[in-house]
Amino acid sequence: MSIADKVHAYRNSDLAIIARRALENLLEERITRVAFVILAIILLMGLIGPAIAPYSYNTQQTTDDGDLMRYAEPSLEHPLGTNDRGEDVLSRLLYGARATLITGLLAGGLMMTIGLTVGMTAGYVGGRTESFLMRFVDFMYGIPFIPFAIVLITFFGAGFYTTVAILGLVLWRFIARVIRSQVLQINQRPYIMAARATGASTPWIMRKHILPNIANMAALFFAMGVGLAILEQAGLSFIGVTDPFTPTWGIMIRNANQAGRIAEAWWWTFPPGIMIALTVLSLYLLGRGYEGSSDDEVVV
Amino acid sequence: MSRLSYFVRRTAITVGLIFLVASALFFFFRAMPGDYSSLLIQQGMNPEQIAQLRADWGLDEPIYVQYYEYITNLLTGNAGQSFRFSQPVWELVAPRILNSFVLVAPAITATYIVGGLFGAYIGRRRGSPLEKSGIISVSVFHSIPDFFLGIMLIALFSSTLGIFPTSGMLSPATMLQVQDQAYWQRFLLPEFWRHYTLPFMTVLLYFMQYPTLIMRNSVVEVSDQEYLHYHRLKGLPESKLLRKIIRHASLPVITLYPISLAASISGLVLIEVVFNWPGIGQLLVSSVLARDFPVIQFVFLIAATWVIIGNFLVDLLYGVLDPRVSVAGDED
Repeated sequence: MSIADKVHAYRNSDLAIIARRALENLLEERITRVAFVILAIILLMGLIGPAIAPYSYNTQQTTDDGDLMRYAEPSLEHPLGTNDRGEDVLSRLLYGARATLITGLLAGGLMMTIGLTVGMTAGYVGGRTESFLMRFVDFMYGIPFIPFAIVLITFFGAGFYTTVAILGLVLWRFIARVIRSQVLQINQRPYIMAARATGASTPWIMRKHILPNIANMAALFFAMGVGLAILEQAGLSFIGVTDPFTPTWGIMIRNANQAGRIAEAWWWTFPPGIMIALTVLSLYLLGRGYEGSSDDEVVV
Repeated sequence: MSRLSYFVRRTAITVGLIFLVASALFFFFRAMPGDYSSLLIQQGMNPEQIAQLRADWGLDEPIYVQYYEYITNLLTGNAGQSFRFSQPVWELVAPRILNSFVLVAPAITATYIVGGLFGAYIGRRRGSPLEKSGIISVSVFHSIPDFFLGIMLIALFSSTLGIFPTSGMLSPATMLQVQDQAYWQRFLLPEFWRHYTLPFMTVLLYFMQYPTLIMRNSVVEVSDQEYLHYHRLKGLPESKLLRKIIRHASLPVITLYPISLAASISGLVLIEVVFNWPGIGQLLVSSVLARDFPVIQFVFLIAATWVIIGNFLVDLLYGVLDPRVSVAGDED
């Protein structure tokens, strides 16, 4: 098979068609178009941010006289001023985009993988497996996330990837629940019964008939999962139980708050918070767009 | 299965879960590298003293004896000694549970009342610009990290305008004055309410999204039902119609209320830290930084119990409010 054929086959595969159609629906509404553009800019920041940052994120800036530039107000040289250690805030923000996005995407991916597996298995296999898996999900729901993460981090230490793992391994619970109920609905459809009657194997039905039908929803939950992971990671950073040397946006807010100058050094406090809010809001609006195009329920 | 046996079964499961969490915490903290005595060596004790201490604390006993002691102590309200404050953990934690509760319970309740009414209002104006901007604004507040929302409020109302104090529950001077009075009396001081306003507003703005959107969805759904067309044809004014709709649409919001109350413990930790509110969340964080393990262990147990009991109450509430809910349990 030539490469052109492969590309052609891919373009006509179920998932590609579904993705294309979903994207078209998504871009119909103005608000989701705005969200899409904002997300694209933030992703670009994560990709090339460190390369276009004017300074290194931990270089202490000095004036011509050699004095440390602490709390310098925004200027042409330092568009977002400097912080208590004399580091350029804009550079830290750009480096922080990468660290924050990596956390969100990895933890979101982990959440979706576990949530999808557990939800699909529970929904399709049913019986004892289902009630065991769903009791387990109930148990996971009983975990107060922030206190639990704090206790775990006390043990395993505050590493960057430790935080990602904890986020991913706990927060998948909401995905599993919704995917299961979705699969339960799809199970009742005639074409699934027809496939089963003609002797199709479970993996085949799952891949060919169920997965394409929940692909949209899975993508929606991936987006929401990324947003949730970024929010919770910022919270943990703020408390001071994550790796303090990776300049995520959450760490920046923590540092500003610790310095006790949240109002005076507004150029330091506000940009990282606004970036987090913009990212989470855009992801949420994208998710809402998926649902909004089909019916008039608003996703909560 | 009868209603009573359902209740008994759910109660047993709830108690079992709390017991499970308590046990898991015990073994988890015991599996830590080194034991409690290793923390004391750093404080400059000689080996004889350490051996004495280990014997006093029962650290030489086999693990199942220690576990038995731990469980019986918990049942009698003895949660050990805080390393940091050298006082019983329970005495340290009890007033803080009250402080957390005083903050979160009224705030979440207000969130549900305000959010529910707002949701009903915009739900009735479906398709209007007001509905759209309403949905977006509650979503914006929920996208801002709660602690950052608190920081913004502090920057605006405390640092810039100087209307409200930045942190704490009472100023240190007042704290000394009320020391000898009954605990509840401090909640009556005007100064307490000035400290209370900003954390309360943070909770309100951050958690508004759930009740607003759910009420809006529910109102939209109920508004389409036929008996409402009948009432409208009958000429019922909008205000009376709205009252009818709210009564029918509020079930999902009411059932979500205890879930939110239980789940809010997690977000509460951050809000307490921002405002330096002397609740259990703030205690947990400061204990982690001081590695005060008995306190961490107990506060986590309290937080987990809070959630477990909250979920238990929700299940019971579902059964009472909606008779269609199957009491058989395992099927949804």
